[in-house]
Amino acid sequence: MIDWETQLKLQAYLDGELSEADRAEIAGKVAQGGEEAALLAELRQTRALLGGFEEGIKMPESREFFWSKIEREIQRPARSEPARLGLPWLARLRWLLAPAVAAALLLVAGLVATRHDGSARSAAGAEIETAQADTKAFTYRDYETGMTLVWLSYPADSEFASQEEIGIIQ
Amino acid sequence: MRHKTTSTALLAGCVAAFALCACGGPSAQAATLKLQAQLVWGTNDDHSPNPKHKPVEADVRKKLKELPLKWSNFFEVNRKDAEVPPADTIRISLSEKCQLEIKSLGGSKLAVTLFGKGKETWKGTQALPKGEMLVLGGNAPNATAWLVVLKRIE
Repeated sequence: MIDWETQLKLQAYLDGELSEADRAEIAGKVAQGGEEAALLAELRQTRALLGGFEEGIKMPESREFFWSKIEREIQRPARSEPARLGLPWLARLRWLLAPAVAAALLLVAGLVATRHDGSARSAAGAEIETAQADTKAFTYRDYETGMTLVWLSYPADSEFASQEEIGIIQ
Repeated sequence: MRHKTTSTALLAGCVAAFALCACGGPSAQAATLKLQAQLVWGTNDDHSPNPKHKPVEADVRKKLKELPLKWSNFFEVNRKDAEVPPADTIRISLSEKCQLEIKSLGGSKLAVTLFGKGKETWKGTQALPKGEMLVLGGNAPNATAWLVVLKRIE
């Protein structure tokens, strides 16, 4: 029976995390071909099996784009906090106006439904229909600012504006 | 009592607004859309090596900063104002290689086609109410970016 410390050292040995002295000690035990060698072989096998299941995760968007979205979401409540603290009376008044607000929302929904000219900002403005798909392109919509960003994979280099126009000195 | 009066007044106002818009309010269907298209270069450099470039206007810069883009500075390469009559199609040339084709689909809805080197690169339909922006972009050399910013003016 291998003691707990040796088991840990065997795992560390496999991960290459042991000091020179400990590594020599464990290598010696493994070389004797006892339980240590068997456990090390099992650990190696387990690591290889688990490693095989770890497929690379492919994001549909760039790394910077993905993390900046998270960063923005983290910052969003922090920015709106002072405004909330400054207007407690509004929060108290809100429930009193709830019936009127609900009615107003229903009316706005009715307006959107009855007008088909496409000028209804709240509904149509949020939609983008891509007719020609750039398979690697992605769309980002910021409802607060009314911005739609379509990031295209084409071109990999700047073909839209010549180098001279953009001003890049190569 | 006062709150009840306020709620009733608000409700009445909404009903009046609904009636006005539904029965005879001004319709945007026949309006000509006034747009502004800009070709923008995104970079982390403080200055553009091209002296003709100037930083984008404050409102555009503010909106671009709101987007999850990694570039800190945006320079205007070219800008074109255009008007799109109802059900009409116009073409805007932002550079020798970059053109936009915009078709008015009624109201604020537009069909936008981006051409790169004369080839159709992207096409989509988008409602663009006043104040909103459609930004098309991609990577450019030296970790910079090109952007086409389409803004509704009126």
